[in-house]
Amino acid sequence: MLWLAVHFPSLALDVFARGTRAPGPLAIASSTGHNATVFACNRLAHGRGVRPGMPLAAACALASDLKVLARDAAQEHAAAVRVAAWAIRFTPTVSIAPPDGILLEVAGSLRLFGGLARLRALIERGLAEFGYGTVLACAPTPLAAQLFARAGLAVRIQHRDALRHALEKLPLEVLGQPPGITAALRDIGVGTIGECLRLPRDGVARRLGQSLIDRLDRALGDLPDPRPGFAPPAQFAATLPLPAPVHEAQALLFAARRLLAELCGFLAATGNGVQRLGLALAHEDRAGTHLALNFVAASRDPEHLASVVRERLARTDLPCPVTAITLASELLVPVAAHNLSFLPDAGSHLESAARLVERLRARLGDAAVAGLATVPDYRPEYAWQVCEPGRNSGEALPRQPDSRPLWLLASPRPLREDADVPCYQGPLTLLAGPERIESGWWDGNDVARDYFIARNPDEALLWIYRERSTGGGWYLHGFFG
Amino acid sequence: MLPEYAELHCLSNFTFLRGASHPEELVERAHALGYHALAITDECSVAGAVRAHVAAKQYGLKLIVGSELRFEDGLRLALLAADREGYGNLCTLITRGRMRAAKGSYRLERRDLGQNLDGCLALLVPGDSPDPGQARFVAARFPGRAWIAAELTCGPDDHARLAVLRRLGDTSGLPLAAAGDVHMHVRARRPLQDALTAIRLGIPVREAGHALHPNAERHLRLRLRLAGIYPAGLLAETVRIAERCRFSLEGLRYEYPDELIPAGHTSASHLRNLAGRGLAWRFPHGAPEHVRSLVEHELALISELGYEHFFLTVHDIVEFARSQGILCQGRGSAANSAVCYCLGITEVDPSRMSMLFERFISRERNEPPDIDVDFEHQRREEVIQYVYRKYGRDRAALAATVITYRPRSAVRDVGKALGLEPSQVDRLAKSLSWWDGRQVLPERLREAGVDPGSAVIRRLVRIVNDLIGFPRHLSQHVGGFVISCGPLARLVPVENAAMEARSVIQWDKDDLEALGLLKVDVLGLGMLSAIRRALALVNHHRGTALTMQQILDRGDDPAVYGMIRRADTMGVFQIESRAQMSMLPRLAPANFYDLVIEVAIVRPGPIQGGMVHPYLERRRNPQLIEYPNEAIRGVLERTLGVPIFQEQVMQLAVVAAGFTPGEADQLRRSMAAWRRKGGLEHFYNRIIVGMLGRGYPREFAERIYRQILGFGDYGFPESHSASFALLVYVSAWIKHYEPAAFLAAMLNSQPLGFYAPSQLVQDARRHGVDVRPADVRASEWECTLERRDDAPSLVTRHSSLVTPGETRVTSHESRLSAPAVRLGLLMIKGLSQAGAERIIAARASAPFADVEDLARRAALERRDLRCLAAAGALAALAGHRRTAHWLAIGAEAPPHLLNAAPIHEALPELSAPTEGEDLVADYASLGLTLARHPLALLRDRLRRMRLATAAELRELPHGDPARAAGIVTCRQRPSTAKGVVFVTLEDETGYVNVVVWRHLVERQRRELLGARLLGVEGEIQRDGEVVHLVARRLTDHTRLLGRLAAKSRDFH
Repeated sequence: MLWLAVHFPSLALDVFARGTRAPGPLAIASSTGHNATVFACNRLAHGRGVRPGMPLAAACALASDLKVLARDAAQEHAAAVRVAAWAIRFTPTVSIAPPDGILLEVAGSLRLFGGLARLRALIERGLAEFGYGTVLACAPTPLAAQLFARAGLAVRIQHRDALRHALEKLPLEVLGQPPGITAALRDIGVGTIGECLRLPRDGVARRLGQSLIDRLDRALGDLPDPRPGFAPPAQFAATLPLPAPVHEAQALLFAARRLLAELCGFLAATGNGVQRLGLALAHEDRAGTHLALNFVAASRDPEHLASVVRERLARTDLPCPVTAITLASELLVPVAAHNLSFLPDAGSHLESAARLVERLRARLGDAAVAGLATVPDYRPEYAWQVCEPGRNSGEALPRQPDSRPLWLLASPRPLREDADVPCYQGPLTLLAGPERIESGWWDGNDVARDYFIARNPDEALLWIYRERSTGGGWYLHGFFG
Repeated sequence: MLPEYAELHCLSNFTFLRGASHPEELVERAHALGYHALAITDECSVAGAVRAHVAAKQYGLKLIVGSELRFEDGLRLALLAADREGYGNLCTLITRGRMRAAKGSYRLERRDLGQNLDGCLALLVPGDSPDPGQARFVAARFPGRAWIAAELTCGPDDHARLAVLRRLGDTSGLPLAAAGDVHMHVRARRPLQDALTAIRLGIPVREAGHALHPNAERHLRLRLRLAGIYPAGLLAETVRIAERCRFSLEGLRYEYPDELIPAGHTSASHLRNLAGRGLAWRFPHGAPEHVRSLVEHELALISELGYEHFFLTVHDIVEFARSQGILCQGRGSAANSAVCYCLGITEVDPSRMSMLFERFISRERNEPPDIDVDFEHQRREEVIQYVYRKYGRDRAALAATVITYRPRSAVRDVGKALGLEPSQVDRLAKSLSWWDGRQVLPERLREAGVDPGSAVIRRLVRIVNDLIGFPRHLSQHVGGFVISCGPLARLVPVENAAMEARSVIQWDKDDLEALGLLKVDVLGLGMLSAIRRALALVNHHRGTALTMQQILDRGDDPAVYGMIRRADTMGVFQIESRAQMSMLPRLAPANFYDLVIEVAIVRPGPIQGGMVHPYLERRRNPQLIEYPNEAIRGVLERTLGVPIFQEQVMQLAVVAAGFTPGEADQLRRSMAAWRRKGGLEHFYNRIIVGMLGRGYPREFAERIYRQILGFGDYGFPESHSASFALLVYVSAWIKHYEPAAFLAAMLNSQPLGFYAPSQLVQDARRHGVDVRPADVRASEWECTLERRDDAPSLVTRHSSLVTPGETRVTSHESRLSAPAVRLGLLMIKGLSQAGAERIIAARASAPFADVEDLARRAALERRDLRCLAAAGALAALAGHRRTAHWLAIGAEAPPHLLNAAPIHEALPELSAPTEGEDLVADYASLGLTLARHPLALLRDRLRRMRLATAAELRELPHGDPARAAGIVTCRQRPSTAKGVVFVTLEDETGYVNVVVWRHLVERQRRELLGARLLGVEGEIQRDGEVVHLVARRLTDHTRLLGRLAAKSRDFH
């Protein structure tokens, strides 16, 4: 048995920072909350005096342009899972080693990949391309490999006889024991694994628990240490949060390439190609942009995929800066299988409404088919929104006052005035009102209007308003049925 | 012709996070609009009523007191107080709803309306779809005094709404009256009001949707507009309702509890009795004639103003404290009266100091007497519980403190409401350097990573500006009690406080003062605890019965003043801060009154008013003292012509500018608020014109005005200063003559004062006090005194390493009889008091054989054992710390009694920790070390770096270049010092006082704020005894300390 431990010393940072070429000073906070501390920081932040463990407030005082992001453990785990899926190409025995590493049993792979040195280089290069910093260590037991990697020592220990000696020098902290136990050992003057091994076993077990002894034994290979095997997920999905919002397609492509590299690794490991890809762009304070990429033939060629993504991004108008991108395989096909036809045969079945929507969208484009929902906003033009068709059925929608017309004009139309009386195909009679609406200062579209229901000589019922702010004047805003 | 109108449904910002205008703004606006009357109907509260009342009196507007109430079943009423009876009933109902719910909320059910509500008028506020059942209920419950509030606020269809309400009126028989559902005084407050809604709901405004109001109509509208909206009859009805409300807060009378007066006595005769008895107690050989006549004079004045009950109440509380051995001391204008001296409320002796004080209350000033009583902080709760016990929860409650929005909290809440990123909000709120109160500094904003031109930030700034000063919630006053004769809830509503078993009224101290109601302040003062403890330690150790009064009776002691003049005052009450210490050698106090001045002069008021240097100059050179006339001489003579106390500033306004005493008091109160609101201009005119008119030169007048401004709220009253000065003297006396007891008492009373235990211990050791380590075999819970010859057999771990530094011991004799201090187990971080007490109990039967024995007999948890090991308190049983820890985690606690037979196991060989490691552990557990100072360990290194010691620096002449390093024990940026930061460094020989000018602060911020071991290169600045090191360059040497955990105490 020969175990290769891959440790990610800067994972908390990398899941954010790998999306940009040159991030500014960046720190990851241990939590959101007022008493948050710095969990990790990048080199630039370190240069300003920011250190892990320091209160966030102090860090911000040191570097006023410090970007602070809250730690995202789910992202970190997802990253480890994706790397594990990718690593299956090197050995069937892959295991996730929480919180920040994976393990590969490589004894059987050495010959195939041309020896340990070449194998390590392959893995290191691959992960660097994904944007992760790594420390790789080799040892005859999985735990020992992990401990060396965590200590930052890229050792290669292939035999158990050398293991004990090397392990003894490691600092106690790499054992990852609960803080109470580490502190107790420190207090009795134990700083290394070796010093811990020299204490009487019984005494240690009685004081600090059998699990510490067991852990040491596992590292040394005196106790078995079975590891759960890793099975790659059925689909690929990865999100890359961007430390600073990005506006240019070029910079987005940089981030997208990171994810595409991972996707291709996943495809290669699982023997699939991708036929339909979803690329979702998240924005600061509006709904995200979703791009669907269809491939005529299933593909897993990174260059090909990247070129399609580049073209698509170039054609896409970004409404505002992007804060995160997500890449998901929406349709996977075993690479040898046939291509599916792009449109299903028409008229084969009675189609459900959902199916109809799907078909209409396929033909006319996603934007051409939409549903409607109400929004709790007093401003009529903001009181509704387009939504996914069928999405709001069943949900309770915010109630609107009864006095709203069914047909609201896309934009209010100024009305002619005749002797101060507003006219629309003749002078208007005011039937009800004013209903005063003053709202919306917070987004720069403040309105101040007095609404009336009015009738024109043709007996048409109109919804009109008088502008209260600058300029004044009458406007038509809608028609009652 | 505009219609008459009275607004009967109006919320102020005391309906927290709903109302968007101050009560004063509403009153002013209603007056400007020519309203007939205004009702303030805050939700289940009258907290804003007094402010509204004061403003209404000023504008001559009729104010109605009321409250909006929402019942659990949806019923919503605005109740108005028609008369005193109705007001009392309303307060009782509010109290009932408040006491039933947690702080800040209330719960009322319809059946609560079953209580007596005579004298209350009711407005039914119907919901969107009015409920005839509600209307019929209200009509039956308030026959002939209920209305339907017709609130037309330009909703979707006001016309239809009015028709519906009319039908409701017809079916229930209730008449309609117009009302405005007012939330703000002008429509321009709409953004703020929307933001408040969002803050209340905890969501951004853009998500608040229909929880917001659809428009800004809920303001005090022009009568012209109202005439266009409401039928005339509905407007006229409001005036008829207002006419029926005859109650005014002016009509409240405060009734004191009368149980303090024994049968057959009146309050006056009882007080006279007590004063007479006190006179005999204070002056066993007969009181001097002038004291007798002073007491007579005061008693007559008290009777005339009807304040007997107040004095009797304070006396009763003080008597209780005395009976429990709780040390206390009164202060304030009335506290320093001869009567209070006789009643034992103060130790300020009129026979010795009478000439110096403008004492007591004055007849013409209609100002309630002021007595604050300080009690030992750790025993104040006993006094508070006594008050509750004696008068009952329904008759005694604490005054409220209105917590208002400050820039920081306002930025935080508004930022969130505007949907800013949490991290951005945090950063904006934390570094308020971009905000100077009114103006935004764009370049600072940019530093905080925010675009100052962005629309969001402009909105933020505008709303924050309005929000600052808004009340946010009611908290409890630190100790101001209101005690009444009948149920308090008939005077003002009472609600629950955040603390268990506390209740607060809805008014704060300004409200009480405005209505002339009295409160008794029961405050906590740490120094009283320390003094009581120190006296107890001395008396126990020496078998004496020393009291505070005896120390004072011995008269001014030159040796004590000598110590004070040397600024050797670490730990002494009030005069231990660095600013005080650098003042002491210059002011050179020589008698008690000098201490009174010393306490008051190092304050922002005198410093900003520029009084300090003129005073010091006149002390050195009496020729400079001059007075424009005799009247001013009368006011300023005792402070050499320079105003130092708040009372003097007020008197100047009277004597020089012709203010009445009442106006002068008004001035004092306005000054408290002027920084926030501005508006002292009319006082400027009055003062300048007044003084010019009395023939003072303009230059002098301007100077007086500036001094008054400088004082602002920061002036310190002489009456408080005098009481504090007593404690200054007593604590200095104890420090001088009983330094061991002083140290032990200070350590036992932590947290207290300016300095950390480590500094207090080092200071004491420099004065020759033997301090012994915490030890399971010898330590009590608190620090104690031991005889010098006691316990040398104990292993005193570090005694061989001690370098005592300089010693200043007063006499050889006192050194011989001087006790040693044994650190108590309370010094040990994390150790439970219960565990410590079991140790002491177990020790009494037999000494501990070993750690195992200790653990078993004292039934110690592993946690406690670990704390003992960490503190080195097991040294005598276990040897060095590492072995102690090994044994501590190995010892089994009693749950395992089955194998009670001790486990015999071999002790592994553990190497001893280094001196440095022990040092770090000492600091981590005890916060101090009795071993060598950390810098002593580093001294060789520091020497090679050419860094001098504090002792060496003290010898250098003015202007010499110097380099030193020390542990940062204190960083201070006084608001009066224009960005200068004062840093105190500590090494094994003492302290270095470093001055860091502003430009260096900005350049070396990182070193200044980050370093724990700071190196300073600079220049000596010497003023007599006072030596400063003015920094030119700072270096961070923290890494030399390794893991040393000496925390700086930062004060701002």
